[in-house]
Amino acid sequence: MEALGINLPGLVTAIVSFTALYLILHFLLYKPLLNVMDQRSAKIKESLETAQTAREEAQRSREEMEKQVGAARAEGQAMIAQAREVAERFREEELAKARQEIEAQRARAAADIRREKAAAIEELRGQFAGLAITAAERVVGESVDEASHRRLIEEVLDESAILGGRS
Amino acid sequence: MGRLLSSPKVLLIGAAALALIIAGLAGGALGGAFGGGFIGAPIAHIQLAAEPITASPQIADIPFFGDFRITNTMVAAWSAIVVLAVISWLGTRRLKEVPGRLQGALEAVMEVFLNACETVAGPERGRRFFPLVMTIFLFVVAANWMGILPGFGTIGRFESAEEVIHHAEEKAEKDGEHADLDNVKLAVFDGDGFLAVQPFGSVNEEITGAEYEEMEEGARPRAGLLVPFFRSANTDINMTLGLALVAMVMVHYWGVSVLGLFTHVGKYFNFREGPIMLFVGLLEGLSEIARVISFTFRLFGNIFAGEVLLIVMAFLVPLVGIVPFLGLELFVGLVQAFIFAMLTLVFAATATIHHDSEGH
Repeated sequence: MEALGINLPGLVTAIVSFTALYLILHFLLYKPLLNVMDQRSAKIKESLETAQTAREEAQRSREEMEKQVGAARAEGQAMIAQAREVAERFREEELAKARQEIEAQRARAAADIRREKAAAIEELRGQFAGLAITAAERVVGESVDEASHRRLIEEVLDESAILGGRS
Repeated sequence: MGRLLSSPKVLLIGAAALALIIAGLAGGALGGAFGGGFIGAPIAHIQLAAEPITASPQIADIPFFGDFRITNTMVAAWSAIVVLAVISWLGTRRLKEVPGRLQGALEAVMEVFLNACETVAGPERGRRFFPLVMTIFLFVVAANWMGILPGFGTIGRFESAEEVIHHAEEKAEKDGEHADLDNVKLAVFDGDGFLAVQPFGSVNEEITGAEYEEMEEGARPRAGLLVPFFRSANTDINMTLGLALVAMVMVHYWGVSVLGLFTHVGKYFNFREGPIMLFVGLLEGLSEIARVISFTFRLFGNIFAGEVLLIVMAFLVPLVGIVPFLGLELFVGLVQAFIFAMLTLVFAATATIHHDSEGH
């Protein structure tokens, strides 16, 4: 033991010195540093959790938004379809109305033409009768009974194909 | 490679290194055998026990203890403690959420050991074992690394030839023998008064105590021994034994506090499971004592051997001989610190395991 150098004062000094170092490091190093490290890891854990919840929240709201957008799109589609339908119907109606109007106008015009034609024929007939009587007076050289002659001419005209038929 | 060799700086450094190596080989004890030896000094005195740094004890005749003398290993141990305390103080003076460099480095080291503790012993017990494991590692590595600093083992008190011979005679008297002064080696120093140095080229200037005694009173050289002020703390077996005792006492304290006194002691004095288990328990108890011894001598042996290796290399090839071995000692010092700390952790973990939970 002596040759190895083991002696009680040396051993006790070593143990006391080591214990002192243990206490120094415990209070100067481990306690404050472990505290800081634990705090930091707690903080990191917390912020990770916060980030996780934020991510979930974002995911959720995005899904919601997508749903809303989808709904809005469907609604818009429906609205467009409806509008198109309405427009189609409107067009059909307008078209029918216009056609009707055209038809009516054409009928009116045809009636007008017919009336004009009848009036023109009437006038022509009158003039022609006058002319015929005048011509006859010249030929005969005397006045004819205008009334009877006019009746005669009317009859002839009625029978003729050109100016007859007041249809 | 070619460009590197043509650089004048590299060439200059290479030439200087070569010159140092040649000077070391020729100037040391190795060259001394062939007529060189112009740098070296006699090999330093190597002894197992730590040397007291003062001639007389600080506190004499403490009852039961004997004399208390401050040894050079105590000084080194206290220096290591002061260095660790100062580093801790600097590192934790201004604690920040985002650590600075020193705080970051300390945190990194602590993280490694905290993780190891929690892996080996579980989160709860790991936290409990951590301070001791960490302290053992830090102290051992700091002491080992400081032990290879320049000045350790080379600067010290000059112990005169009279003192050395007196000690040798005292020791012989206690053992009941006659002092063999032929085996007391003394180195010859230069200088006078307070300062004494071993001069260059004094490789063979070594005399024995007997030769010294025979010389005339006036013609005696200034002979004696160098007692270094600093010597690596773990080359003192008191230090390593102290560490081992603290570690094992704490291990068993934890064993008792976790398992209870009867369960823990019952592991070593097992009377309930037949004679074979009783024998196994006793063997286990014996191995606990063996652990203290292996703890003590593993660390002591490694560091003391390293110290001797450095002394011998410095003696054989001065200037450059120790360079590769300094690197080796850095490595050994770290590894030994790690082993001591980890074994403490593993012993603590196994001592606090419930044997019933092993699933019979």
